[in-house]
Amino acid sequence: MLQVSINDQRYDFPEGMTILDALRQLKIEVPTLCYDERIEAYGGCRLCMVRVTGNPKLVTACQTPLVDGMAIETHSPEIENLRKTNLKLLATHYPQEAVEKNPHKEFHRWLYAYGLEHEACGKFDLHKQDRSHPYLSIDMSQCITCYRCVNICNDVQGQFVWQVNGRGDRSQIVPDSGTTLLESTCVSCGACADTCPTGAIADQSGQDQARTYTRTTCPYCGVGCEMDVGVAQDRIVTVRPALNSPVNRGHLCVKGRYAFDFVDASDRVTTPLIRKNGQLTPCSWDEAFAAIKSELQRILSESGPKSLGLLGSSRATNEENYVAQKFARVVLGTNNVDCCARVCHTPSAAAMKWMLGTGAATNSFDDIEVARTLLICGANPTENHPVIGARIKQRVLQGAKMIVIDPRATELARMATIHLALKPGTNVLLLNAMAATLVEEGLMDKSYLANRIDGFDAYFNFIRPLKPEIAASICGIDPEVIREAARLYATEKPSMCFHGLGLTEHTQGTEGVMCLVNLALLTGNLGKPGTGINPLRGQNNVQGAAHMGCDPSILTGSVSVQGERLRFEKVWGATIPSEKGLNLLAMMDAAGREELKALWVIGYDVYLTNPKMHETRQAFEKLKFVVVQDLFLNETAREFASVFLPVASGFEKDGTYMNAERRISRVRRVVSPRGQSKTDWEILCEVAAAMGKGEHFPYRSAEEIWNEVRSVWQEAQGISYARIEKHGLQWPCMDLEHPGTKILHAETFSFGKTTQIKSIPFEPTPEKTNAEYPFLLTTGRNLYHFNAGTMTQRTPNHHLRKSDFLDLNPLDAHHLGLREGETARLISRYGEATLPVRFTHDVKPGEAFATFHTPEFYLNHVTSGYRDRKVHAPEYKVTAVRIEKSNRCARSLV
Amino acid sequence: MTTNESFYHLPEGTKLPAFCQGTACFVARHVHPQRWREAAQQTRRLYCLGKCHLAPASLKDSARPLTQVHASQAIVLERIAKRVAPTLAAYQAQGGYQALEKARALAPEAIIRSIEIADLRGRGGAGFPTARKWRAVQTEIAKQKYIIANADEGDPGAYIDRLILEEDPHCLLEAMAIAGHAVGANKGIIYLRREYPAALTTLQTALAEIQKTDMLHPFAIEIHLGQGSYVCGEESALLNAIEGKRPEVRTRPPYPSQHGLFGSPTLVNNVETLANIPWIIRQGGAAYAALGFSKSRGTKVISLNSLFRRPGLYEIEFGMSLRQIVEDLGGGLKHGHLKGLIIGGPLAGIVPPHLLETPFGFEELHAIGAAVGHGGVIAFDEQTSIGSLIEHVFQFGAYESCGKCTPCRLGSRRISEMSWQSEEWSDLIAALRDTSLCGLGTGLAEFAESIQRYYHQELEDLCCKSP
Repeated sequence: MLQVSINDQRYDFPEGMTILDALRQLKIEVPTLCYDERIEAYGGCRLCMVRVTGNPKLVTACQTPLVDGMAIETHSPEIENLRKTNLKLLATHYPQEAVEKNPHKEFHRWLYAYGLEHEACGKFDLHKQDRSHPYLSIDMSQCITCYRCVNICNDVQGQFVWQVNGRGDRSQIVPDSGTTLLESTCVSCGACADTCPTGAIADQSGQDQARTYTRTTCPYCGVGCEMDVGVAQDRIVTVRPALNSPVNRGHLCVKGRYAFDFVDASDRVTTPLIRKNGQLTPCSWDEAFAAIKSELQRILSESGPKSLGLLGSSRATNEENYVAQKFARVVLGTNNVDCCARVCHTPSAAAMKWMLGTGAATNSFDDIEVARTLLICGANPTENHPVIGARIKQRVLQGAKMIVIDPRATELARMATIHLALKPGTNVLLLNAMAATLVEEGLMDKSYLANRIDGFDAYFNFIRPLKPEIAASICGIDPEVIREAARLYATEKPSMCFHGLGLTEHTQGTEGVMCLVNLALLTGNLGKPGTGINPLRGQNNVQGAAHMGCDPSILTGSVSVQGERLRFEKVWGATIPSEKGLNLLAMMDAAGREELKALWVIGYDVYLTNPKMHETRQAFEKLKFVVVQDLFLNETAREFASVFLPVASGFEKDGTYMNAERRISRVRRVVSPRGQSKTDWEILCEVAAAMGKGEHFPYRSAEEIWNEVRSVWQEAQGISYARIEKHGLQWPCMDLEHPGTKILHAETFSFGKTTQIKSIPFEPTPEKTNAEYPFLLTTGRNLYHFNAGTMTQRTPNHHLRKSDFLDLNPLDAHHLGLREGETARLISRYGEATLPVRFTHDVKPGEAFATFHTPEFYLNHVTSGYRDRKVHAPEYKVTAVRIEKSNRCARSLV
Repeated sequence: MTTNESFYHLPEGTKLPAFCQGTACFVARHVHPQRWREAAQQTRRLYCLGKCHLAPASLKDSARPLTQVHASQAIVLERIAKRVAPTLAAYQAQGGYQALEKARALAPEAIIRSIEIADLRGRGGAGFPTARKWRAVQTEIAKQKYIIANADEGDPGAYIDRLILEEDPHCLLEAMAIAGHAVGANKGIIYLRREYPAALTTLQTALAEIQKTDMLHPFAIEIHLGQGSYVCGEESALLNAIEGKRPEVRTRPPYPSQHGLFGSPTLVNNVETLANIPWIIRQGGAAYAALGFSKSRGTKVISLNSLFRRPGLYEIEFGMSLRQIVEDLGGGLKHGHLKGLIIGGPLAGIVPPHLLETPFGFEELHAIGAAVGHGGVIAFDEQTSIGSLIEHVFQFGAYESCGKCTPCRLGSRRISEMSWQSEEWSDLIAALRDTSLCGLGTGLAEFAESIQRYYHQELEDLCCKSP
C-alpha cells in the first residue's frame, strides 16, 4: 500500500495507480479534457495539473504515477486560476450556441463549473461541417484539439483515420481522406464520437435524447460486447459501449453501435401470419397455435416423430434454445433438432471435444494481450469480429508476431509477420506440413509431450514425411515460409490461435481443427495464458444454441443424448427419445426424400443460407408444414412458411447469450416487444401447453428457465442471474463461489491428464477446378453486414456498403474483359448467380471471393453440396466456378 | 538517407524560403530594412539559417564567420580555427580517429568514466551530465540501441553546430562511433536540419569517405533530414520525427535512454557535446575538467551576432564574464548602445547591461533568469523596442508550437496579439510557465518574466502610450 496525502488528508492506495485514478476514487474532481481511460494518457489539455510537494513544476494527474509518501495539492487558488486560464483559452473561439444547447457535454460542463460559459464567443461554421457519414456528424468549429479522437482511433481501433494537419494553433484534425469522413478509411466504430468531449464529432442519432440506459449484450457476433442502450419513448436512440467490460473494454463496432434500426424497420412483421391459398395472411395467435397443433398432431399420427424437425436459433438466448430442444424432445418426441452451428463451428466443437474434452474456446480474449505470437487461421476478425480484430491489431502494433493463414490478403494478413496465402481447401496439408517442421526441427515442447500427449510414436511416423517441401506446390506456398511460420509459432511463445470458418467449412473441416489442435499440443501452447485454440464464433449465441442442446446428439451442457438421457428425464419428468436424430443437412436430405414432413425454424433463414440452393428448395417444397419464427419475412418464410410467428428481437427480452470465450452474459429487455410479437420461449411454451405438455414448460421468466439449465448443466451451476448482473461469467463455474474459468486444460483435459494426438491424412475435396470451371470461389462476410443481412440491411449500414461484390484480381478481371462495377455471372456445376465485380489485389489470380448478405443475389445457388466428412458442415469455402460478363444489370450501386 | 517533414503535411512544400527571420536577423533588421521587409512578407517562415553573423541573412549568404579560440586548450574548434580541410586525410593527419581506436581498446565503463571525470554537460541547452545519459543507455539490456546526433540546431542565434558539421564532420562521426562502442549500439543517426544544406553536403562526403574504409565497422551511420521545426530539436520530439510520427514532445518517464527510437534504448546527444568526446578520450577526462570553472567544466563555443563589431564563433572556457564576451571578444556593438543580451535563444531570460559581470556558466546564468542554452549570443540595441521584441518572440513561439498543450498552442498566439501588462497577460504567462510540457512554453514564460523584471520601465511607458 502507498501512503499518500491529498489536500492534507492521508490515504492508502494500492500500487500501480496514477494521481488521477486516486482522485477519481476519492471523487475529487479535477477537470480533464484529453483524458479517456481507454487510451494512454496524453497530457495535452493541461487541466488536471496538480502540485506535488518537492516537485518544482506542476504535474499532470493523468500521467503521474502515485508514489509512496507523495503530498498532493489539487485545488489551491493558484492551480484553479491556471485551470481557468487554460479553459478560457479553449473557450474563446468556441461556438456559444453549442454550450447553451447542450450544457451536459463534458467540455461545456467544465465551462459552467468554472463560470466561463460566457467566454465562448465563437459561432458555428458551416464550412467546418461534414455530414457525409450516415452515423457520424462532424462540426470542427466545435473542436478543441484535445486529440481524443486521434488517440482513440489509433490506440483502440488501430485505424489511424483522424490525423492532425499543421501545428500550433493552426493544428487541424482531419480524416485521412483529406476530404470527408465517408471517403476516409474509417470503419465507423464510433469510438471518436464516443470520446469527443464537445460536439465536434457526434452520433447523428440521439445521444442527447436518451432518457435511460440499459446494459445488455450485443445481438451481432460471438464476441458478445457489453453495451448500454439508450432509450427514449420506448425507442432505441443510441448505443454506447460498456466502459469496464472485460470483453470489449469500452469499444464497439459499426454493427453493435449503430445498426439497431432494424428493430423498428417498416417491414417488421408483428402479427402472426398463416398461409391461405398460397398467401401469408394475418391471423390471431390462437388461430396460429390451433393450426400448428392440428398439423403437427396430424403428421405425428401419420408419420411419427421421425418426420418432425426443429431448428433452434443462434440469434436467440440460451434460455430459448434450451426450451427449443426440450420442446423438440418432449413435445415433438424427436432428436431431430439442430441449429446453424451446423454450418459454421460444429466442426470446431466436435474436434475440440474429441481431442480436448470440451468443444469450446480454451482461452479468453484477455489472453490476446499476453500472447507473443498470434496464429489466425481462416478468420477475418477485423471485419467479422471487429472488436477482437481491433485488440489483435493493437497487440501486433505493440510488437507481437502474427501468422495469418488465409487465401486472401485480409487486413490482418497485410500486417502479419507471415501470411500463408494457401490455396482454398488445403488447410490440412498446410497444418500437417507445419507439424512436420516442428517434429523435424525438434521444436516440440518435450515436457508437454511427455506429460500430456499419448500416441506420439505413431504420430511421429505419420507426420515426419509430410514436409513443407511436399505440401508446397499444392498449397501454393514456398516451403521455407511454411517452416518459418512453424518456427515462429513454436518459439515465440506463448502463441495463441484464433480460427474461423475458413478452417471449418470444408470437407475436412473437423479434421482441419484437429490438425490445429495438434500444433498446439506439440508446442505446449495450451492451458496457459496467451495460448490455446479459440474458435471465433460467428453469431451472438451460436455457441450457446448448440451447447443448450440444439444438436441431434447432445443435450444441455454438451453431453451425449445416449449417455445422459436418463439424468435429464428425471429432471424433466418426461421421456427423451433414444433414437438418433437428424442434423440440419440430414433433415434437408430427409425432406427431399419426403421422410421429414414438418420443420419448425426459429430465427434462421435456412433457404437463403444453405448451400446448393436448388436442392434446398426442392427439400422445402416437399415439406408438408413449415413454421417460421422471425422478425421479418425472410426468404424461408416468404417462400415456404405455413405459419409465421412474429418474435421479440434481442432488445425486447431477457435472457443470456454465450460468447466465444464461454462467457454467459445478460441480455435485457431494453424496449417492449413490438406489436403482438412474443419471445421465442413464450411461443414454444404456449404451443407445448396447447399440445398437452404444458406441465413440462411452466416457466414464468427467463431466469426460471436459466435456473433449470443450471440444474442439468453442472459447469454452469455457479452462474446465477444475480452474479452476472454486472458482467458475465465464464463456464466452467461449478458453484456460487467459483470465479469462472478463463483458461481450460491447465493441468488436465476435461477427460483426463493426457490426450491422443491424431494422425490426419489430407483428403482433397472432390470439388475441383477444370477448364470449364477454372476459378475457386470462397464466400464470407464483410464488416458492415451480418450473415443473411436480415438485420443490417434494414439499417443505414447499407449506405456504408451498398451491395455484395464478387472480388476478383484485376489480372483475371482484365482477361475476362470485366470492368469494375460491371456485373458478372458466376456459374458453378450447381447453379449461377449474378454479382457486381470489384477489383482487389487481396484476392489471388485464379480465385474469387463473394459476400452473401444481399438476399437478391442468391449466392448459394452456386455453392456445392459437399460436406464435412465428420459433422456435415457444408463446404462454403471451395466452389469451382466460371465467371462471365453479364448483360443483366445488377442492382444500382450508387 | 531518409527524410521526412518535421511536421506532417507542411502545407507549403519543402523549398526553403529565401530570407531568415530568426531573432538575430530581427534585431538587425535596421541594418538592411529592405531584406527584412521581404523576409517578413514570406508566406512561409524561416527561423534561423545559422548565419547570424551576417544578419539579416539570406539563403545565399555564404561568408564564413570568424572562428577564434579564447581558451587555454582548443577542443571543439581545434581544427576549425586552424582551417583544417574537412577531409578524412586531413582529419587523420591531425590525429583523427585515434580516439576511436583508443576507445575500442577500453571497456565501455572506462570510457563513460572519463566523460564523468571530464564533467561534460550537454551543450544542447539542458546541461545534463553526459556520462549519466551514456550510462543509462549502456546499462539497458536490448538487442537494438541507437546513437542519435541531434544536428537540429534550431535556437535562433546559434551556428556552432553548423560550423562543426560543415568543417569538421569526421569529428562527429568518430564521436558517434565511440558512443556506439561505449553504450553498445551499432546504429547511428544524424538528425540534420535541411536549413543547413552545406552541412548535408560535407556530411555526405565525409560518410562516403569513411564508408570506403572499415574504420567505423560495425557501427553504421545514416542521415535523417528534418525541416522547419524548432520543437524537433527537443530529443523526444526528434525521435517521433524519425519514427515518422507527429513530432510532439513525449512525456517522461520513460526516458529515451530506456524507451527511445522505436522503443529501443537511445542516446541522443547534441553535435557540440559529441565534438568534445574524441578530445576527452585522447587527453583524458581530468585534462578536460581542468578547464572551466564552478560546475561548468571545459570549454563552450559561443556564437556572436552581426551587431557585434567582431561577430563570429569563439571557443571560451566557462567562467569568462559576459562583459568580456561582449567587449573583449565581440568588441562591443557596431552602432548604438547595448540594450540587452539574448543568450541561448529567445526562449530564456534576457540579460540587461547591468548584469554583464555575470560569469558565463550554467548555474550563474540560471541565477539571473537566463541560460547558457546552446551558446548563441545575440546583442540588441535601442533600435529594438521591448514591445516589438515581445511580439517577435511570441510570434516565433506561436509558430513553432506543436499544438499539444493548451497554453502554448493558444496562449502564445494570444499573447503575441494582445497588449502587455494586462491581468490576462500575467495569467497567460503563469499558465505557460506552470502548465507547459516542454521548454517551448516555459521558455516563453521565462523570456516574458525577464522582460517584466528588467524592462519594467519601458513596458509601463508602452502601456501609457497605448490607447
